[in-house]
Amino acid sequence: MQDLRDREAEAPDGAPAGKAPSELKQWPIQMHLISPTAPYYQGADVVLAADCTAFALGSFHADYLKGKSLAIACPKLDDGLDVYSEKIAALADEAQINTLTVVIMQVPCCRGLVALTQRALADAKRRVPVKVVVVGIQGEILSEDWL
Amino acid sequence: MKTLEGLLNSEIKDVIAYHPEAGTVLADHGVGCVTCQVGTCLLKDIVAIHGLSADEERAVMAGIEAVLAGKTPAGPTPKATAAQPAGASGAAGRPAAATAAAPSIKYSPPMAQLVEEHRLIKRWVAQIPAVVAAMDLDRAWDRELVLDGIDFVRSYADRFHHAKEEDILFGYFDADSPAIKAFVTEHEIARSHVREAEAGVAARDAESVARHLGAYGELLASHIKREDEVLYPWMDRELTTSQVGELFSRFAAVDEAAGPRFTKNYTSLVERIERWTESQTEKQTQTEKVQVAR
Repeated sequence: MQDLRDREAEAPDGAPAGKAPSELKQWPIQMHLISPTAPYYQGADVVLAADCTAFALGSFHADYLKGKSLAIACPKLDDGLDVYSEKIAALADEAQINTLTVVIMQVPCCRGLVALTQRALADAKRRVPVKVVVVGIQGEILSEDWL
Repeated sequence: MKTLEGLLNSEIKDVIAYHPEAGTVLADHGVGCVTCQVGTCLLKDIVAIHGLSADEERAVMAGIEAVLAGKTPAGPTPKATAAQPAGASGAAGRPAAATAAAPSIKYSPPMAQLVEEHRLIKRWVAQIPAVVAAMDLDRAWDRELVLDGIDFVRSYADRFHHAKEEDILFGYFDADSPAIKAFVTEHEIARSHVREAEAGVAARDAESVARHLGAYGELLASHIKREDEVLYPWMDRELTTSQVGELFSRFAAVDEAAGPRFTKNYTSLVERIERWTESQTEKQTQTEKVQVAR
């Protein structure tokens, strides 16, 4: 547990006030609810985000979601992870996605989403470039690497 | 020659020609422009392309300013010095920096594929000195072996690998950029050496074959190193995630068009050349032992 209430607001001094626009262009987004055959996944750059990342990372919409399609999941608490594997493989083979960016938190349990993705894509017929972005609990980007 | 600002807007070959110590300063910070055979990149672009940290950039600028002022430039930054293996030294006797350390670079998947292709090309390039030392162009077997090596260069290194670079990858960047132009020009120089080497085999001119294959090998060794350590990392920084995905698909299409046996066949060819040069070296060693025994 960490108490981050003393942390300074992320917006720099003098930054314009107002709402950050949503870059979400689809619904649904939860992994159990999405269909890899949906048109917005076809040939798309897809972000597979761990549930907590969009809350931790203030610029998630602008920096990672803009121009991409989304699926969200929690590798620790969700049931039916085998269904997730099948859907990731279907995104590669059937939706023929362009890239997959897996955004996870720094906590160890989140690594399960990367492992799940790697296993699913190993079973897929088509290869897809995968990038892993690790977000710290204070919203900082700890790493961003292609697998 | 010029002010620092004037120097930043000069081509690197002119900078090094007028101020060889500037080349040493760059080399000490892992910028290997001294070995580039084209040298048309502007000094200011080189600083950007190499992705130097703010500290390294300041150190390079301070070093070049010292050169302009006729002073002895300081050595590399402490960070760069720490990366060097024991005993390594820079061009001016100062400790070598990032150039000496084997860099650990993470590439995007399409760039990693190009780096992997470089490994096979480097294996053939490494055999060139032994091939030209042992070949006898009056023997049909030796001529065929050299021509097989030339076929590897034409088909694998050029039509397959360089085509991915020139026809696909470089298309994502400004064709008029001095850096891109420099690498394309080196491809052209490499092609001309290969043409001359092939003509040399036909004419059974061993000296010409040795000269052009040797020059090709030297050029490619430096060219590949700069692509692996500078060009591709810079491109990876510039490409968007979506462009990386496109590149990956387009490279896969090239691989599919080449066929599943293409890389295997050329790997087998390089292995055959490696076995031949190894056997020639063994023969030479045996001959020398016999001569010593007599």
